[in-house]
Amino acid sequence: MIVGQQKPLAEIKAEVVPFSKLLILGCGTCVKTCFAGGEDEVATLASSLRLAFKKDGRQIKIEELTVERQCEDEFIKEAAAAIARNDAVLSLACGAGVQMVANRYAKSPVLPGVNTTFIGILEKQGLFTEKCLGCGDCVLDVFAGICPVSRCSKKLMNGPCGGSHGGKCEVNPDTDCAWQLIIDRSKDFGQLDRLSTYVPPKDWRTSNAGGPRKLVREDHII
Amino acid sequence: MSESYPRPPNHSMAEVVETNNKAVFKPKITVFHCFNAISSTAGADSNEYDISAVRMPCSSMTREVFLLRAFEAGADAVVVMVCPEGDCRYMEGNIRAGKRVARVKKILDEIGLDGKRLNIYPVPEKDLNTIDRIIKQTVSDLAGLGPNPAS
Repeated sequence: MIVGQQKPLAEIKAEVVPFSKLLILGCGTCVKTCFAGGEDEVATLASSLRLAFKKDGRQIKIEELTVERQCEDEFIKEAAAAIARNDAVLSLACGAGVQMVANRYAKSPVLPGVNTTFIGILEKQGLFTEKCLGCGDCVLDVFAGICPVSRCSKKLMNGPCGGSHGGKCEVNPDTDCAWQLIIDRSKDFGQLDRLSTYVPPKDWRTSNAGGPRKLVREDHII
Repeated sequence: MSESYPRPPNHSMAEVVETNNKAVFKPKITVFHCFNAISSTAGADSNEYDISAVRMPCSSMTREVFLLRAFEAGADAVVVMVCPEGDCRYMEGNIRAGKRVARVKKILDEIGLDGKRLNIYPVPEKDLNTIDRIIKQTVSDLAGLGPNPAS
């Protein structure tokens, strides 16, 4: 899933200051799961903003709405009437959702309330960790299912480096060394010898380094 | 599409009493309590303050938005009364409540409302003396904090 974190209240407040009628639009998929932009977070943020503005002697009308997914046009159609009633939209979706709403509702300012952070997993309740960089050329088969692109701080294709100590990374001792994990898991499979094969430098053209990417599925286009 | 959460009830109309041309602050306190810890706050009523009570089947029902909306509804202080640690009928409701209260205290500080307006206390089952002491402490704290600046 896409993992995001709600922006600090002061930053959000500064974004919405010019508007007196605001729609806070939540997204019920990824950002709901990571507690950044689902129904609960919309309600909490709306209440916090109302209190903050009232304390400053200013009234702001805030409408709350959460759609299933902001990155799909079918779902954001539901927000049309609410968007029309308000001066601006504060989207608690990831960057894709914010831009989808902005694209459909060209006359409404659409502001981000979440910092989109990474593609990751829910490791345990309340802990989300990065697992994928979206590089466009998956190499998990070569590295025993552990991604050195997203999980090695140096993105080494032929590791580990000299900074791996006790299974931890020198960049951050709280981070597991991806290469230690690759070696341990390869041993479990009995495939450690595969790691002796040199892996050439990664071709980053399939990543965002090659410019914005597009996926076309002709079989789904009518 | 989903509906918003229901709001807690508004406080009574009696807000400020004028005595000898001097405004007397009559604090409004909203108490969220697990009904396994205390059945009601009736014994803590007084003419010196207003109490609104929200009974919950477990303190794990304490949600950030409910606490904030109590302040929106005019509460000068919000108190959450939970079972002592280890005594929660649902294992960890009081721990969850504690974490949510801590988060809302930070939000109140960011807003400038002062996180000291919100507190959580463990209450041994049906211990009326503890409830009385908590309310008195809250009223005493409010004497320094003053009325909710966003009410």
